Amino acid sequence: MKPFDIVIVGGGGAGLYAAMEAMKTNPALNIAVLSKVYPNRSHTSAAQGGANAALANKAKDDTVEMHIFDTIKGSDYLADQDAVEVLCSEAPKIIRELENIGTPWSRLDDNTIAQRPFGGAGRPRCCYCADKTGHTILQTLYEQCLKKGVIFFNEYFALNLSVNGSRSKGLIAMNMKTGAVEAFPARTVIFATGGYAKMYWNRSSNAAGNTGDGQAIAYRAGIPLKDMEFVQFHPTGLRKSGLLVTEGARGEGGYLLNKDGERFMSRYAPEKMELGPRDLVSRSLETEILQGRGFDSPAGKYIHLDLTHLGADLIKSRLPQIREMAMNFEGVDPILEPIPVRPTAHYSMGGIDTDNYGRTVMEGVYAAGESACVSVHGANRLGGNSLLDILVFGRIAGHAAALEARKFEPAAISEDEVKDQLAELRSSMQPSGHYERYGELREELGQTMAANVGIYRESSLLKKGIAEVAELKERFKKVRVSDSSDVFNTNLLQVLELKNMLDLAETVAAGAFAREESRGSHTRTDFPTRDDEKWHKHTMATLIDGHVKLGEKPVTMGRYELQERTY
Amino acid sequence: MKRYAYYLSCINESMTKEVDRSIDLWQKDLGIELVKLHESTCCGGSNLDYVSPKHFALVNARNIACAEKMGLDLVVSCNTCLMTIRTAKKKLDESPELKQEVNELLKKEGLEYRGTAEVRHLLWVLIDDVGLETIRQKVKVPLKDYRIAPFYGCHILRPSSVLGKDNPLDPSSLDQLIEALGGETMPYEHKNRCCGFHTLLVAEQESLNVAGEALEEALELKADFIVTPCPLCHTVLDGYQAKALKQAGIKSSIPVFHLSEMVGLALGYNAKQLGIKRHIVS
Amino acid sequence: MTVSTDQHKEGKRDVTFRVFRFNPQVDSKSYFDDYTIPVERGITVLRALNYIKEHVDASVSFRAFCQAGICGSCGMRVNGISMLACTTQVWDMLAKSKEEGVVRVEPLRNLPLIKDLIVDMDPLVDKMKHYSNWVDSTMPESEMGKKEFLVSEEEFLKYDKATDCILCASCVSECSILRANKEYVSPAVLLKSYRMNVDTRDSMHDLRLAELVKDHGVWDCTHCYRCQESCVKSIPIMDAIHGIREDALESRGMKDTSGAKHAEAFMSDIEKKGKLVEATLPFRTNGVLWTVQNLLPMAVKMILKRRTPPPPPMVKPSKGIKAFRSEFREMSEHVKQDHKSHNK
Repeated sequence: MKPFDIVIVGGGGAGLYAAMEAMKTNPALNIAVLSKVYPNRSHTSAAQGGANAALANKAKDDTVEMHIFDTIKGSDYLADQDAVEVLCSEAPKIIRELENIGTPWSRLDDNTIAQRPFGGAGRPRCCYCADKTGHTILQTLYEQCLKKGVIFFNEYFALNLSVNGSRSKGLIAMNMKTGAVEAFPARTVIFATGGYAKMYWNRSSNAAGNTGDGQAIAYRAGIPLKDMEFVQFHPTGLRKSGLLVTEGARGEGGYLLNKDGERFMSRYAPEKMELGPRDLVSRSLETEILQGRGFDSPAGKYIHLDLTHLGADLIKSRLPQIREMAMNFEGVDPILEPIPVRPTAHYSMGGIDTDNYGRTVMEGVYAAGESACVSVHGANRLGGNSLLDILVFGRIAGHAAALEARKFEPAAISEDEVKDQLAELRSSMQPSGHYERYGELREELGQTMAANVGIYRESSLLKKGIAEVAELKERFKKVRVSDSSDVFNTNLLQVLELKNMLDLAETVAAGAFAREESRGSHTRTDFPTRDDEKWHKHTMATLIDGHVKLGEKPVTMGRYELQERTY
Repeated sequence: MKRYAYYLSCINESMTKEVDRSIDLWQKDLGIELVKLHESTCCGGSNLDYVSPKHFALVNARNIACAEKMGLDLVVSCNTCLMTIRTAKKKLDESPELKQEVNELLKKEGLEYRGTAEVRHLLWVLIDDVGLETIRQKVKVPLKDYRIAPFYGCHILRPSSVLGKDNPLDPSSLDQLIEALGGETMPYEHKNRCCGFHTLLVAEQESLNVAGEALEEALELKADFIVTPCPLCHTVLDGYQAKALKQAGIKSSIPVFHLSEMVGLALGYNAKQLGIKRHIVS
Repeated sequence: MTVSTDQHKEGKRDVTFRVFRFNPQVDSKSYFDDYTIPVERGITVLRALNYIKEHVDASVSFRAFCQAGICGSCGMRVNGISMLACTTQVWDMLAKSKEEGVVRVEPLRNLPLIKDLIVDMDPLVDKMKHYSNWVDSTMPESEMGKKEFLVSEEEFLKYDKATDCILCASCVSECSILRANKEYVSPAVLLKSYRMNVDTRDSMHDLRLAELVKDHGVWDCTHCYRCQESCVKSIPIMDAIHGIREDALESRGMKDTSGAKHAEAFMSDIEKKGKLVEATLPFRTNGVLWTVQNLLPMAVKMILKRRTPPPPPMVKPSKGIKAFRSEFREMSEHVKQDHKSHNK
């Protein structure tokens, strides 16, 4: 294959924005997007709520400065303040740019982009399109990439980076349609593969494919992962499936009620109530359940998210997707009765360590979006900052790669390397003797992560979690791919994804065990307070000799001093 | 004797005259009287609605208003006329402004669209008003020797938001009528599919392909005939049958009856009386 | 013995999934495999397929991603109808099964088959490209990001529903005309084209429309409404198709197609007679030459059967045609006024 200037792995919001921006920066470049699904299927489509930007359309006194402060405070002061500044000051521009290229936004009476209140934000600054914001942004970006003639390799699964010393030569991937292993020699590679919260499996709101493929590939290539222990639990996952009910439901005025019919958030966040930051609301729900004030059902304990007082018109016009989901997956019409919810693993703050331009420590390798950790979310992400992150840093990474690609020599990947990859795949498909079942391993991984590395963490649980993940990794060596077909082997794909999740689970558990404090989404019952003296720093996980090695990196501070975080 | 205003469809006035002729033969036998609305005009045939939405509203408000003036429901025997007039009714009932605008014009003729008359297909009247039990009792010549493929056509089923009588995925009204008349219905996959009529003059090959598939399945199922409640479907399945089957490479043929003819046969009228001899495929 | 209502509600039963199988590597033709598994109430077809893949036969291949009805990956035909497996309840499908306790699962139609329940989406993407399914902004790239377009609620509502489309291809699979000709534009692409054409921020309305009125375009739709009926997001797709047609008739230079001529004939006939003059419709749509070549053999048969529609002078006008005609013409004046005020 002809060498590429840029190969972008992942076709969600970050990947597509990177592609669009790179084409815009230098149309002469040879750019490809490689995705394991058709780009319009990517998980960006599931983001319902919106994207924050201090446009000041709704609250005229909103400012970028306030957005910066809210984000830093929300992060429990673990975010790098220079990165947050980039995020928030680019926000109005990027939302307007998206608007300019055709993204449909809901509108205010003065015909400007509508904004609504969101958790942890001092002003209503979340821009939205009903409850399909991510979906419409993704469609728009995909359309624009088609317009610009971006080359797509759809349904290709990335296997590994091809590395020469400290420098990447490109990517090796499998064509799902044929089963062929192909080389993608590239001057630069951008990982935009989304998050890794699916390792919690059915206690996760994520798509089946959010298995952290890019992070795992980078990790195996020796690139450090940052702050992996920080996994955000969204307060309102549907009881049975873990699927998400957007914060928009609370933004529009929904109540959280325990079995006594009490709006219990008055105990935990008397001022913000249901619109407190996610980590706090999730812990509040979990506490209510643990203390016996939840509802009981065969599918587990839960809390009520009550929208009935909002009325049919508002629910139908502003929250149609939520209504559809509640009806399809819980058999409940939110116009008539409350929705059963409980916390669900939703977002991974951690990811591939990058600078503010999306660069990693490896020459020619970039990362953006949920697969990266710049870090703008620190220990806890604010609602509405996720879409913003993928757009802003997708764009920045695309721009940076486009400017820098030609500085590097064109790369080549040898045929032997490709053959080796193929051989490795083949051997995993024919284990002899005793073998392990994919489904069982994946189920056990989800269970152990939820039970031992969940919302409330503690030393002995974490030790157990670490041991169990290690054991699962060992058992994985004997996993069998039962489908022997070359054509669209989804069974092989599942197994490869599980491998990625196992590698990353080890880093999540190790980071959680090491971090002896409570900060943001990371809550240690044995270390219940924030310990700025020892732990105001990032954890860095690197793969050395097959094992995770933890290091650290200072947090970049700026004009905001450490403060206690209260709402 | 229950009375209805009967809408005159253009096609039944010209190419498929046998429809109204056969209805005239048996309507009194079933205790219904269909009063012909000579004032009615073409409904716009699922085209006028986008050519000129306002004329579309006017024309059909007038059609319905003529029935309302007589205090009767409007009965239709063409699927497309049914869907079209019901679509207009829905739009008029949902928009007081539109209703007022057309009523200003209709005033000149002493007409007013109020939205009180129902717009129904003849098939629905037979099932809901006459009743299957009554029909069963009135049958003189049960169709017991016939295996019949029911072809509903699109516009008696879809869009279901406008039609709403049958389940568009699995309609049953025509099957019920066939059984009441003593005939044998069959699991005909194409029963709710398209005949291709509306693209006949624009994309003929595609239309014939669509029709060909429906005919082919009926032949495979060894149906004795196809029955349809829509004269447009009939025109394709009968009139264009030779062409459609030739395109599909099939050397065979199958008769296609109108709903009204099938009822007439069971009530004891003969093929000549009913106008069945007028069909292209005998 | 008492059974709690909850347990009763969550009851289980054995269900047979009759799954379409085809692996081009080994199979010369497709076949069905039956998998019988216990299924509780509340389980979706996708969850049942996942169960089969994990516990019974790992080689059953299908796409799935978000499992929440928003990514559009798992479009397939269940009991013959195209839908999303992830939002379809097994028990609902059982109620509609032809065979007791059996749910049939097949790939979408009208797209090339890859394997089992997986079809190739590339033809659809190619059509999106062909019909420029994107907004080509009126704003120069260098100006972007500086200010918003002001868009009224009314404008937003024109394309709001159309942007619900998740490209699951259920409509593509159900389309009558695509089944007859794979070149046809497709309902989803018409919907997207409409969505772009009503967006005031877009600059290539005329070019896109010019492409849409060509062969295999908007006039080939046969109004069967199957697309709309099967849309998993309940989008009124036919409104979009009619919207494009209305637009094409309004735009100068777009009327010279057989579809447009056919549509406009209704208008003039109704005005003149109150009735459609079917005898001359083929001439007016496609010209004399086409009519003679295509319809003459049939016309002979029809004459023999006295089935020919009467020639124009013989078409009896509706009763009260004079009063009707004046109303009709007055409405034409209304429409002219509407256009004038709209263009302002």
